[in-house]
Amino acid sequence: MIELKSVSKSYQMGDDTIHALDGVDLVVKDGDFLAITGPSGSGKSTLANIIGGLDEPDGGKVLVNEQDISKLDDKTLSNYRNHEIGFVFQTFNLQPTYTALENVMIPLIFAGISSAERKKRAAECLKAVGLADRMAHLPSQLSGGQRQRVCIARALANNPKVIIADEPTGNLDSKKGEEIVGILKELNRQGKITIIVITHDPSVARQAHRVINIKDGRIS
Amino acid sequence: MKYFDYLRLALKNLSRQKSRTVLTIIAITVGSLSLILMTSLVIGIRQSLIDQFKNLGAFNLVTVIKDPNSVDSNNLMGTGGDTSEGKMINDTTLTEVEKINHVAAATPIISVNIGTVRLAGQDKKTWPNVVAFDPRSDVFTVPIIAGRNLTTSDMDKVVVGSRFLDDFGYGGKANDLIGKKVILNSKMGGGGSGVDWGPPPEKPPANADDSWYKAQGNKGVDIEAEIVGVADNGTVGDGSSYINIAWARRLNTQVSWQQDKNQPKTGDQNSYYQPTMTLVKNDNFLDQGYSSIILKVDDTANLQSVASAVSKLGYGAMTAQSMIDQINKILTMVGVVLGVIAGISLFVAAIGIINTMIMATYERTKEIGVMRACGATKSNIRRLFTFEAALLGFWGGVFGLLISFILGLLAKTLVQKYGASLGNLPINNIGNFPWWLIVGVIAFTTFVGMISGLYPAIRAAKLNPVDALRYE
Repeated sequence: MIELKSVSKSYQMGDDTIHALDGVDLVVKDGDFLAITGPSGSGKSTLANIIGGLDEPDGGKVLVNEQDISKLDDKTLSNYRNHEIGFVFQTFNLQPTYTALENVMIPLIFAGISSAERKKRAAECLKAVGLADRMAHLPSQLSGGQRQRVCIARALANNPKVIIADEPTGNLDSKKGEEIVGILKELNRQGKITIIVITHDPSVARQAHRVINIKDGRIS
Repeated sequence: MKYFDYLRLALKNLSRQKSRTVLTIIAITVGSLSLILMTSLVIGIRQSLIDQFKNLGAFNLVTVIKDPNSVDSNNLMGTGGDTSEGKMINDTTLTEVEKINHVAAATPIISVNIGTVRLAGQDKKTWPNVVAFDPRSDVFTVPIIAGRNLTTSDMDKVVVGSRFLDDFGYGGKANDLIGKKVILNSKMGGGGSGVDWGPPPEKPPANADDSWYKAQGNKGVDIEAEIVGVADNGTVGDGSSYINIAWARRLNTQVSWQQDKNQPKTGDQNSYYQPTMTLVKNDNFLDQGYSSIILKVDDTANLQSVASAVSKLGYGAMTAQSMIDQINKILTMVGVVLGVIAGISLFVAAIGIINTMIMATYERTKEIGVMRACGATKSNIRRLFTFEAALLGFWGGVFGLLISFILGLLAKTLVQKYGASLGNLPINNIGNFPWWLIVGVIAFTTFVGMISGLYPAIRAAKLNPVDALRYE
C-alpha cells in the first residue's frame, strides 16, 4: 500500500516559486487502478515521480508498505525503483541502438541478474505484451504502439508491484491507445499489479477503478 | 550490477559513436606510443651499455687506482685518473692485492705516453688512448672483432680500437686492417731523447745549441707497430687500443744522450775538451709505477668486499657499479625529460577523453534518466561512464604497443640490413618490451582514461533523474 501524507513539492522557476504539490494526501491500495488527471502543470507528473521514487518531496511522507521512501539513501531508493516500480513513458524512452529484447533487459542488468536469466525473462515479458516476433527489432523498426509495448515489457521485467504510466497513450492514435490501456488493465486484473496512470484522456481515465483530479498541486 | 555487464555496456556504448571513439583512441595511441618509444629507447641504451660492460667482464672487476679520493674516474681502466697523486702502484702493490680474498686474477695497467697515431703510408693522424695490460692474466678479455688478442711475446704489436676503423678509412672492413702497420708517435721524443725501442735517438752534435734542441723537441719518436687485432670499443669504451705491458715498459723508458758527469761542462770557456755523450736510460716506471691494477673478483657479490680491502691498503678502488650508477643517473635524467614529452602528449589525449565523455553525458542525458528510473544507482552510472573512459585508455595503450611492436620489427630489419652504418644506436631494442612495460603502459593509459572519465562520470551520476528524463 502506498500512502502520501501532506506531501508538498515546489520548484524555483526564475524568481517564481511553483508549488507543484501542496499538502497532498493520497492512499493507493495494492491492486488498485488509479487514474490521475488534471490540466498541464497541475502536478500530476510530480506526484507520480514522487510515488515512483524518482523525485523527493520537500515535505510530508511517502509511505510504501509503511516505510517512508522519502528518507531512503540512493542505493535503497534505486533498489525500490528497480524491484517495486515499473515506469511507462509517453515518449517510450527506448534505447535506439538496443533491440527490443535488450531494452527490456535494462532493469534486469541493474538487478544483477545473469545474462541467460535476463534473456529468458525479457523474452517472457515481450511475449506477454504480444511482441514475441519483434524481439530482435530496433525501436526504429517498430510502430508507436509496439514501442509502447516494449516500454511496458521493460516496466514488467522485474515483476514490479506498481506500474506508473505517464501519458502512455499520449503519442498513440486511439486504437493503439486502447490496446495499451487494455494491456495495463490485463496486468492489473490478472497480475494484481497496481496501476497508476497519468492522463489527459477521459476515455483512458474511465477505464480506471478510481480517478483523482489534481489542480494547482491539490487533489480536488 | 556485475562488472562484466559494465564492460559489455561500455563496449556497446562506445561502438555507438564509432568515429569519435576511434579518434579519441588514436589520440591516446599517439600518447602511449611516445611513452613506449621513449621508455624503450632509455631501456635500450641502458641495456646496450650494460651489455658492453658485461662483454668486457666489467661486472667482476675492481680497478685499483693511486688516489683513494679519486672515485669518479670515468675510465674503468683507471688510465683517465690522476696519475701523479696518491700512493704509488708497483709490483709490491700487485703482490699485496693479489693476496686479497676473492681476487681471482690481477693485471697491472700502464697508460703509454703516445701522442698521435697514423696508419703507415697515411698522413692522417689521430689521438689514441693506448692501454697496456698483461696478456697472461685472465682478468678481462678484450672484445676482438677482427684478428687476434695479444700474447705475452707481442712486442711491437697492437690491438687497435674499433673507433680507428673510420679514422683510417676502414669502416666495416676490420679484417683488412690486420697486418697493417701503424706509427705511434711517443711524447717522450726530443733533443737527444727517445724511447727504449728501435734505433737510439740522434746524438746531439758538438755544436748543438738551444735552437737545435728546440727543433728536435717537436719531433717526438715514431714507433712502428703491427696491427694484430681490432677491439670493439662499443659506446662505453674510451676508444682504447691495447698493447702488451712488457712492451709498454720499454716504450715508457726514456733514453737520452747525456754528458758524462766526470768531464768538464761544455760551457767552460777555458777548455777545448770535447764532452763525451753517453746514452742514459730513465725508466719512468720507477717514478710513476703502474697507472692502475685491475682485479678480477671470483663473484660479483664479493665486489664490494674486495673494493674495501683495496681501500684499506690506501689505494683508490673503482667498480663498474659506480659507473653503472652514473649511467643510471644520466639515463634517469634523460628518462625524465623524455617522460615529460610523452606526458604532454598523453595529457592532450586525456583532454580528448574528457571531451568525448562530456559530450557523451550530454547526448545520453535522457538515457541516464531512463537508467535511473529502471533502478540504476548513482554509482552504477558513475562506474559505467568511468568504465567507458578507461576502455578508451586501454585500447589506446594496446594499439600503442602494437604499433611500437611493428616499429620494433622494422627497426630490427633495418639493423640487420644496415647494422654497421647505424653504429651503436640502440634502435633494435625498440621492439623488445619487458613484461612490466607492456603491463605498465596498458595499466597507465587505462588509469589515465579512468581519471579523465571521472569528472564526466560524476557529472552524469549527479544528474537529477526527473530533469534527465525531461531533457530534450
